Amino acid sequence: MSIELTEEQKMLQDSAERYLKNSYDFDQRQAASRSAKGFSDERWAQFAEMGWLAMPLPEEHGGFGFGAMEIMLLAEQMGRYLVVEPFLETVVVGGGLLARGATTALAERYLPAVAEGQLQVALAHGEEGKHASMINTATTAVDEGAHCRLNGVKSVVANGDQADVFIVSARLVGAGNSAVTLFAIPADAEGVERRGYPTYDGRRACELTLRNVVVGPEAVVGGRGSAEYLLDRVALDAQLAACAEVIGGMAALVEATQDYIGQRKQFGKTLSSFQVLRHRMADMYVQLELTRSLMLAAASSLAGEEGDAARLISALKARTVKAGRFVSQNAIQLHGGIAMTDELSIGHYFKRFAVLESWFGNRDFHLQRFRELQSVA
Amino acid sequence: MEKQEHYAEFRLRVRDFLDHHLTPDLRRAGRLMTSVFADFEATMAWHRILFQQGWVAPDWPQEYGGTGWDIQERYIFQEECKLANAPSLLPMGLQMLGPMLIRYGTAEQKEFYLPRLLSGEDVWCQGYSEPGAGSDLASLKTSAVRDGDIFRINGSKIWTSYAQHSNRIFCLVRTSKEGKPQQGISFILVDMDAPGIKVDPIVGLDGRVEQCQVFFDDVEVPVANLVGEENQGWTVAKYLLEFERGGHNFTIDLKKQLGKLHRQMAETRGINGASLETYPVLGSRLADLEIDALAVEYTELRIKGANSAGENPGALSSMVKLVGTELGQAFNELSLDVLGPAVAPCQLEALEPCYDGDIVGPRYALTAMAEYINNRASTIYGGTAEIQRDIIAKQVLGL
Repeated sequence: MSIELTEEQKMLQDSAERYLKNSYDFDQRQAASRSAKGFSDERWAQFAEMGWLAMPLPEEHGGFGFGAMEIMLLAEQMGRYLVVEPFLETVVVGGGLLARGATTALAERYLPAVAEGQLQVALAHGEEGKHASMINTATTAVDEGAHCRLNGVKSVVANGDQADVFIVSARLVGAGNSAVTLFAIPADAEGVERRGYPTYDGRRACELTLRNVVVGPEAVVGGRGSAEYLLDRVALDAQLAACAEVIGGMAALVEATQDYIGQRKQFGKTLSSFQVLRHRMADMYVQLELTRSLMLAAASSLAGEEGDAARLISALKARTVKAGRFVSQNAIQLHGGIAMTDELSIGHYFKRFAVLESWFGNRDFHLQRFRELQSVA
Repeated sequence: MEKQEHYAEFRLRVRDFLDHHLTPDLRRAGRLMTSVFADFEATMAWHRILFQQGWVAPDWPQEYGGTGWDIQERYIFQEECKLANAPSLLPMGLQMLGPMLIRYGTAEQKEFYLPRLLSGEDVWCQGYSEPGAGSDLASLKTSAVRDGDIFRINGSKIWTSYAQHSNRIFCLVRTSKEGKPQQGISFILVDMDAPGIKVDPIVGLDGRVEQCQVFFDDVEVPVANLVGEENQGWTVAKYLLEFERGGHNFTIDLKKQLGKLHRQMAETRGINGASLETYPVLGSRLADLEIDALAVEYTELRIKGANSAGENPGALSSMVKLVGTELGQAFNELSLDVLGPAVAPCQLEALEPCYDGDIVGPRYALTAMAEYINNRASTIYGGTAEIQRDIIAKQVLGL
């Protein structure tokens, strides 16, 4: 396996790094996060202009047709600069599900708009009292022949507050079918009701209620009963992106903490003169780099559609949660009281990591899955 | 793709060689290893077989007896040897002294010592640590006082692995008390049969002797045996320590440990009579360690990538030493938890390759306790885990 970047990939990485470093500062991020919308339209338009939103989408629908490596590189830089715009939700998950499952007509209606930054998408899968990793759902889609009628309540729908389109999972009822299926439902469809709210990571989500929402057969994403298969596949990209985001964030935390303990003085000397703190920093760095190695391997395997990709992604998720907790908790610990304030970026990384932990299956879920998937090496 | 085929073919060639030359006795010695060292006789027998084949020092430059293999071929060779249970070769000569002599030795030293090292005629041990100088190696006190064209050495070295089997020792000695402690150290080669040398074996925690203390009482050594300049031994030693740290492949060891653990879990029954493999708590502990081992594997791959691109992997090798050893210890602990009381019987004679009597308990439990015990040393030798953390903090993070 080769885990080296191509020249084009290095260029993408550099340009994303440069752009975010120069123009995505923390104060503006906070202002965008606190706005009614929860992120900045202006930024989103710039992401679209730079082609980031088109990166992993298929060429026939306005995308560039790139894959896992490019998703990883972008997400890593976004994590580093605490980007609040919903790249993960709209492009990686929404775009990924539509690209893989939508009919040509549906794909053509939505994907070019996603690539151009004109459309927000949210996956509405989770329900109260259930882990999002479970495929089972209480939302029903009653098959009435010419159309389906959906009823149910979806919970903690990430990016749900701003979504133009929801991709909803529901169990088919009637016609001898009970398989879980995905439906693309416009936010303004009759019977769709959302209640938006902020989440601890500076983003916005919603509770989504579907009351007798009627959709035609063109709304089915990926065919009847294919939700599990589609979600499993798109979850690999999503998980890679989420882990890359945390790894980018860890790199920022290691740098910030290293600078801080090199300057901050207590007992008449810099904190970095205390060996216990230097060793803690060394452990933070080790956690970051070990996890980065797994990220590169998982991305490369996924990009090559290799047989062990799912197993490596589960390994990556399990390890990223462990490393992310260690690094973010110790970044706070080494900064001391100041890192417990809203004013400093340190704690905002910590909160983002904590929210991402359970996204598409938590550490326990992925340890278990890692065990179940046999090594093909 | 052509490359892949080439490596696959190379692997088959190595396997074929092992099938024909790695005898059952040698494999038994490899299986019974409970530390980085195998039974001495078996080790040297395997050393001579590899020498005959021209494969005893793959890491050396070809002109000095290396194989000319690239980094991937060397890795494959190491992996195949380990997985076939070949006894490990002694690293003191091949991994440490050899590369150092090639870099710093005089033409005469290379011409005399390297062929004898390759053939197995010379067996080397390493005289670094002293009773009063462990992690703080630069505080070493063993003195070498110049007297015409000889040095007269007095003092003592400790933790000298396999000194009881060695005919030569390379030492760090103090040749000056001026300046910083590092500045007065020299690197010197000593014959173990020189008058005034005494070797005391040290019984280890596992009940066996791997380490010794070596005493020097007015031992006379020709000045020509200095390697590098007088008082410049620290530079030489640091180069060598990098080899001690970087020359090791933790992935292979960890894979082997993992294989053993899987077997131990499959064979052992838990309270409900089912195989321990089916117990979720153990299962998730194992998965966690297995994932960390994967992370080490891909980190070693990144190091290899940096090496072949001519970049310096820098402190990544300290990182792998740190994580690889701590993870190895975690595997040992899990082994103990899996095997339970079966690890307690101390059967030293059964750990000798020539033993063919009965053993207490299952064969797959025979080495677990000795491995657990001996592996505590892995975070002490070659720079302790704390020293590695110091190196990472200083060299990578600039703290």
